[in-house]
Amino acid sequence: MKLKKIPIFVLSLLVLFLVSCIRDTDFDQASDITATPIVELDLIYFTLDASDFFDSITNTPRLTLRDTTRIDFLDETDFQESLLRAEFLFEFTNSIPRQFDVDFQFLSVANDTTYTTSTSVLAGTEQNPVETTFIENVERPEVFDLTSAEKVVVSVTIPSSSEALEGELNLKSKATYYLEITERE
Amino acid sequence: MKHVLAIFLLVSTVVFGQNKQILYGFKEIPQSLLVNPGGVVPEEQRYHFGVPLLSQFHINGGASGISVYDIFGESSVDINTRIDNKIFEMTNNDFFTATQQLEIVNFGWRKNETTYFSAGIYEEFDFIFYYPRDLAILAWEGNADYLGYEFDLGEVSTTGDLTMVYHFGMNKQMSDKLTLGARGKVYSSIASHRSTNNQGTFVTEVVEGSENIYEHRIQDVDMLVESSGYEDIIENGTGAIGRRALFGGSLGVGMDLGITYDISDNFTASASVLDLGVIFHNSATKNYRATGDYTLDGIELLFPALEDGETTFPYYNNLEDELEGEVPIDTLYNSYTQMRPLKFNASISYDMGELFRGGKCDCLDMDPGEDNELLGLQVYGIKRPKSLQMAGTLFYYRKLFEFLAGKVTYTVDPYSFSNIGLGLAVDLGRFNAYVAADNILRYGNIAKAKSISLQFGFNIKIHRF
Repeated sequence: MKLKKIPIFVLSLLVLFLVSCIRDTDFDQASDITATPIVELDLIYFTLDASDFFDSITNTPRLTLRDTTRIDFLDETDFQESLLRAEFLFEFTNSIPRQFDVDFQFLSVANDTTYTTSTSVLAGTEQNPVETTFIENVERPEVFDLTSAEKVVVSVTIPSSSEALEGELNLKSKATYYLEITERE
Repeated sequence: MKHVLAIFLLVSTVVFGQNKQILYGFKEIPQSLLVNPGGVVPEEQRYHFGVPLLSQFHINGGASGISVYDIFGESSVDINTRIDNKIFEMTNNDFFTATQQLEIVNFGWRKNETTYFSAGIYEEFDFIFYYPRDLAILAWEGNADYLGYEFDLGEVSTTGDLTMVYHFGMNKQMSDKLTLGARGKVYSSIASHRSTNNQGTFVTEVVEGSENIYEHRIQDVDMLVESSGYEDIIENGTGAIGRRALFGGSLGVGMDLGITYDISDNFTASASVLDLGVIFHNSATKNYRATGDYTLDGIELLFPALEDGETTFPYYNNLEDELEGEVPIDTLYNSYTQMRPLKFNASISYDMGELFRGGKCDCLDMDPGEDNELLGLQVYGIKRPKSLQMAGTLFYYRKLFEFLAGKVTYTVDPYSFSNIGLGLAVDLGRFNAYVAADNILRYGNIAKAKSISLQFGFNIKIHRF
C-alpha cells in the first residue's frame, strides 16, 4: 500500500530535524560585545619619618628620598589595549612642619621617561596632621604613555631639614582603571 | 573571548541532558533497552543488530536561563544591554550542558522465550558547566561598584567526560507480569575533568586603620581541578584517544537495572537506574589545587639609603612571590575516583487499547493484542554536581500500523515548560529505523530553544529463528 511513501516521510522528518534553522539572529553582533569593567586597585603606600630626611652619621640633610618599583601589569598588551582612562588618587597625611614636593616618574624598560606628574604636599604639625589629596586623571592618548611604563620612581623632596625635625609623612594611594574589553583587529 | 562565548552559547543550545523520554519504553526500538534493561522485548524479536556507527546517535544540549536568541536575536536593544540583563538575571544554579552518544556496535539475541541478551559499545561525551554568576559580574563590571561585596569563587563547578562504554545486559521475563533486566558496564575513560566543591571569596573593601586605601582579600580559598587523560592526548596525539578508548586509560565499572510490572490489564509500571558506577582515574591524571588566604594592599616603598649602583628592593617580585606562597597552586598527580552521573527513569502507563477498540472491524490493526495505544507519565532524574535535575513527561504512544509506531511527549524540565517531542519507529521487513526529537516546536528556529535532544538510528531486527 503506502509502503513507498513511508521512507520519504521518514526522510523528510529527518531532514526537518537535521536542517532545522537558526533564524532572526545576527552573529555579527559578537564583534559589538564590549565589557566595560571598572577596577579599583591599591597602588603604593609609605610612611617616612622626619629623621629619614637627615643623615645623623654625616650630620647632613637628605633633601630628596627616592625609591623605585616595577609595576609590570601596566605594560601588558591586553591591558594597554583595553585601558581607556586611569584615575589615580594619592592621599598624603603630613605631620612634619615642612611642605614637600613629590614627583612620580614613569620609566620604560629602557629607562626612558614615558610619563611624569607631581604634586605639593602641605605642611602639618604633630598636633594637627594635614591631609593633601591629589587626583591625577589620565585619558587617551596620554594613558598610552603611562601604560608603556614598566616601573615608577617616586621622589620626595623636602626644602630643608634638621636633626630636630619631627613628624611623619604618610601616603596611601589607589588607581581606578576604566577598561573597555572588546574584539581588536 | 567573546567568540568563545558565542560558540559556547550556540553549541550549548543547538547541541543537547541525557533525558531520552521518547526512547524510554519504546519497545520497537532495540536501543530502548539501554534506557531500561528491564523493558519489554517483543516476543517475536529473535535478534537485532545495530548498523555499525548508525544504530544510535544521540545529541542533547541545553542551557537553563538563556538561549542563543536571548543574546544574538535581531533586536533594537544593544547586545551589551542584553548580556548585562542576563548576567544579573541568571543564577548560580543555571547551567550549560551537552551530551552526545554514538553507538559503535549494538546487538542482541534471544536465548529462549523469556531471556533476551544484548551487548554493545558506545561512546559518550557528557559536559556540564554551572554559571559562575559572581565571577561573570566581576569580569563584566569590575570591582568598583562592589566594594565590600564578597565574590563567591566557589560557584565554579564543571565536569566533563569522554568515555567508551562496553556493556552486556540480560533481560528476563520472570512471569506474565514481571520483567527484570540488568546491564553490566565497563567504562574506558578517554578524557575527564572535574572541578566541584570549590570554595573561596574575593573582596575589595575600605578597612579603617589599614595600611592603604583598600584591602583586596582572597579568603578561605580551596579550589581543585582534577583531570585525567588530557596530558596523554596532548603528548601523544590522537593515537592516545584510540588507545584510551580500548582500555588503555582509566577504567571503571557500573551497572544499569530495570523493571517492568503489569499492575493490572491496563496499567503498567516501569523503572530503571542507569550508570550506577564509578571510574577510577589513575592514568595520566593531573590535578591543580589552590588553597589559602591573601590580603593585598599594594606596594610599600621603604626608601632605603642606597650607594651608587645599588638597587632598591624588588617590591613587585616580592609581591608575586608572596601571593604564590600564600595561595599556592599545587600540581598533583594523584588518582581519584569519580561516580558516574546517576540517572533514573520511572513510568506508569495506561493501555487504552481495550477501552477504545471495538475489536472486530479494525482492519489495519495487525496485532490486536495489547499495548497498541498507551497514555502515561514518566519521570526522569540525573544527579548533577549541584543538584538533582528532574523532568516529568506526559506521553501518548500509538502503534499506527504493524510497521509504524509513534510516540508523542510533553516534557517539563529545567529548560522549559513547552517541550513537545515526537518519535517514530519504522519496521520495513528486517530493517528498523527510528528518529526521536524533542522540543520540535523549536525546530522552526533552534536559536530560541533552551534545549534540544535528538536521537536516530538504524537496526536489523530478525523475528524468527
